[in-house]
Amino acid sequence: MHKDNTIIICRCEEVTYSTLQETAKLHQCSARELKLRTRAGMGFCGGRTCRPILDRVIEDFIPNTTADAIPLKYQPPVRAVTFGTVGGSND
Amino acid sequence: MSEILIIGAGPAGLSGAIACAQHGLKVTIIDEFIKPGGRLLGQLHQEPSGEWWNGMKEAEKLINETKTLPIDIRCGVSVYNIERHDADWYVYTNEGVFESPYVLIATGAAEYAIPVPGWTLPGVMSIGASQVMTNVHRVQVGKKGIIIGANVLAFAILNELQMAGINIERVVLPAESPISKKESNPEEVLKILTEAGHLAPSALLRNGSKLMKIDSLRRMALKYFPKGGMKINGTPLQLKKAAIEIVGNEKVEGVKLATIDSQGNIISGTEKLYEADFVCIAGGLYPLAELAAVAGCPFKYIPQLGGHVPIHSKNMETPIPGMFVAGNITGIESGKIAMAQGTVAGLAIAMASQSNAKIDEQLQQALQKVEEVRTKSPIQFIPEIAEGRLAMERVWEKESNRGELERVIF
Repeated sequence: MHKDNTIIICRCEEVTYSTLQETAKLHQCSARELKLRTRAGMGFCGGRTCRPILDRVIEDFIPNTTADAIPLKYQPPVRAVTFGTVGGSND
Repeated sequence: MSEILIIGAGPAGLSGAIACAQHGLKVTIIDEFIKPGGRLLGQLHQEPSGEWWNGMKEAEKLINETKTLPIDIRCGVSVYNIERHDADWYVYTNEGVFESPYVLIATGAAEYAIPVPGWTLPGVMSIGASQVMTNVHRVQVGKKGIIIGANVLAFAILNELQMAGINIERVVLPAESPISKKESNPEEVLKILTEAGHLAPSALLRNGSKLMKIDSLRRMALKYFPKGGMKINGTPLQLKKAAIEIVGNEKVEGVKLATIDSQGNIISGTEKLYEADFVCIAGGLYPLAELAAVAGCPFKYIPQLGGHVPIHSKNMETPIPGMFVAGNITGIESGKIAMAQGTVAGLAIAMASQSNAKIDEQLQQALQKVEEVRTKSPIQFIPEIAEGRLAMERVWEKESNRGELERVIF
């Protein structure tokens, strides 16, 4: 591990481990808040690459993440789609 | 409108389709990939019996069978949302909305990534991606590769890459970090490898795997583990080397490795750069359950099944009315198990729509078949899989006893 923790966790939004760590420390936030503040897991791939890592990291930073609930809620759309497709105009 | 919509045309989805179409149900299968078969398409290995498992041929067999039945397979269709209104499921895709009273989610698994500094460079991929490139698309991944991560999936695919003439220089562990835990610890890794059966990387581990389950012997084996690694068909497995960083200007040019002790601690001053033009990261698999989550299915965290898994019965039904699951979404196992589970799910759906004694008999046989295949299975991606299955059965029982499970809100 790099000493400066500049390793990228979320590739799409280029969020580093240290950004996640500092944000969690500063705001003492929930998993969802951490995601919204840093945009980790909110990029084009919809978190398909980094979600499990984020879950792990979040468990380290934020205690009491309940075991059975998925730490970060899944919400539609779970695939990248155009506004047209979602809106029904299907251009 | 079809009577059942199946999401995923892999071993579980195809087998499920065949089982319920044989009882007259009209089936539509949708899949994101350009052709049906799922992960079967990449599989090629020799079983301990000497027989070859050719996934592409197995997929072909299943697809040919679907052609004789009322089954419509649609490829290149991605699902982005799923909802239930009244008695029907509405499945939203890039090709419009599909409606159906029953839905079988057979979306398989996804790969765990292990972030390593430099893993965003072109030329770094998951081990599964190298399998798809090699066995499905027939594209040469590169000339000189390094695999980071030593697990059953890595060795299965290493074997396939070797058969295709793809040069893998070495298999190493990821360096210890807050993100990589067990997979950076040589002792933990060796423990998992002793469970790898015939895929174990050497005769010593294979034949000695019973002995290696003894902690002290395992520790000794690690102590004397050859510095240059243990050869697997010519590729050294280096349990005492860890990847510190993947380096390169515009693309992968090499990997910085360091020597580690049995606990994964880096021995300072041992860093050295090894040339490579591609890197495969092997972090293992987890159930891809996003659609079940969006549909509101409750989950259970069972590490012995690979992570968060939608709650389901032995019959593959979920607490959500009309929603069934099968294959790796229920736990990480081989394609053969996925096929057997798919058959169970298909028959359970047939039962739900037209209960009769004949289907029930077939269902009971199909359930037995799952157990049989599991017992006979030469390898397990997760050694404690049977415990995981049992844990889920208990969860289902408990939830059923809570009452009102019968087709009501969970």
